[in-house]
Amino acid sequence: MRHYSDAPDVNFDDAPEMQPYLAQPDAMYVGCPGKRGYLNLGFEVKNGKSIMRELDRRAPLIVQQELYFDEEMPDMPCVYILSSGGPNVDGDRFRQNIYLKEGSQAFVSTGAATKLAQMARNYSGMMQEIKLEKDAYLEYLPEPIIPCRDTRFISDTRMVVDPTATVFYSEIYMAGRKYHNNELYVYDILSVCTHGERPDGQQLFREKFVIDPNQVNVRQIGIMHSYDVFANVLVLTPEDKAEVIYKDTEAYIDEKNHIAAGITHLPNKAGLLYKVLGVEPGPVKKVVREFCSRVRQAIKGKPLPPEFPWR
Amino acid sequence: MTDSTFPVGTFSFSNGLETAAQIHLVKDADTLEQYTRSVARQAAYSDGVAALIAYRATKSGDYDAIIEIDRGIMLFKMNDEARLMLHRMGKKLAELGVRLFADTNGKDNFFNRWLKAINAGISPGSYPVAQGIAFAMAGISEENLFASHQYGVINMVLSAALRCVRVSHYDTQEILYRISEDVPKMYEQARVMTFRDMNSFVPEMDILASMHEKGNMRMFMN
Repeated sequence: MRHYSDAPDVNFDDAPEMQPYLAQPDAMYVGCPGKRGYLNLGFEVKNGKSIMRELDRRAPLIVQQELYFDEEMPDMPCVYILSSGGPNVDGDRFRQNIYLKEGSQAFVSTGAATKLAQMARNYSGMMQEIKLEKDAYLEYLPEPIIPCRDTRFISDTRMVVDPTATVFYSEIYMAGRKYHNNELYVYDILSVCTHGERPDGQQLFREKFVIDPNQVNVRQIGIMHSYDVFANVLVLTPEDKAEVIYKDTEAYIDEKNHIAAGITHLPNKAGLLYKVLGVEPGPVKKVVREFCSRVRQAIKGKPLPPEFPWR
Repeated sequence: MTDSTFPVGTFSFSNGLETAAQIHLVKDADTLEQYTRSVARQAAYSDGVAALIAYRATKSGDYDAIIEIDRGIMLFKMNDEARLMLHRMGKKLAELGVRLFADTNGKDNFFNRWLKAINAGISPGSYPVAQGIAFAMAGISEENLFASHQYGVINMVLSAALRCVRVSHYDTQEILYRISEDVPKMYEQARVMTFRDMNSFVPEMDILASMHEKGNMRMFMN
């Protein structure tokens, strides 16, 4: 009899792109304790200040108490998500919930890059739910994701966002462990789906990308071409704010510095989608942070503070 | 029905090629082929799947499924110009469909109902859904719908290329011939996909589309 964690079930076994990767790992089985991470973070306003009211977690995910280290927004709780297991491994399943009650604000990031380890039998999957009530504000700005050789990763992120709230949600994907045997695009599959809706159920947008370097030449013009880093940023925000941010944000291909960025409107006036391509994570992170700063300026009237020198 | 001379306005769109050509990202037959491959792949697993779903819904008389996939494909379009393109061409094909298939099912044909829903703002009126309905009503096979859909997408880019890239008709026909070889394999994957599985990954094209939208170059509408 196998013992399962009491964390919620996460299963992507019916996704067509995962069909070749459904065997049990030779190591610990799918969903065993320690391979089924769970995180439930709830923020709300107490005495005029946002606090983290809910914190429930299962290994390997760790969140410690909230800190207030943002010098521009000292009232905003800041949280780092850590994983005690190190990289995501074969057969890992994660569930993360981030809920922000009316008027609350939060900054969520990760302590270091998320490494997706080499996998042999199964895959690593993550389901997320991000819910924001009236006037809430969330910045989700994690470190990059690094897919190693033969890795398979699938995620599904559902956002339920009030029309008055703002979510800044960024993800940065590396091509691989670039400086380890030039491991670029040798992973098996990255499948990432993000979809948004209003609290009344109105569907807003749906984005899904499946990167399968075994099947498609990602170096083709139009896909990744000569770039090694890809950032995808969704900003769900009221229409008037979105217009200000859109006007202030350039779309460009900078050949000299080998970096490119583009911005567009999400369907149903839900907000903006910003994409950045580059060759090294540093410059891409910088462009994403600058964009986040513009979003923060438009919503909160404050810029992002300079990044910590050790990040 | 999916050729660029079919009167739904395909010729006025370039799928980002105009910007790619202007910045010399696409400058000859080789770069054009790469770009067109990216466009074709992206279309196969998004619009192509939507067309197949609409086709099957028409065959089985499931009108609600048509509205559902029409709304669904629009949720998936992350760019104002792409949404505009899909809507303009979809509505035009629906208007044509009402006339072309007037005798098929009398006044109750799906195009009549759907065009009313488009005009009432209930359904967005997307081109792949219109194609699915049209092929089903014309009694053409699902494989041919997919092949024709892919031909339409590839041909749209290649026709635009003749106007903005230094390539010849020989080049574009060779590219069309080579890229078409992938279509059966793409169909095998697309035919088992549902709305939930639709996907697209063309970040460099997305950035070009954004530059086109923000810029003031206007030979093509996207």
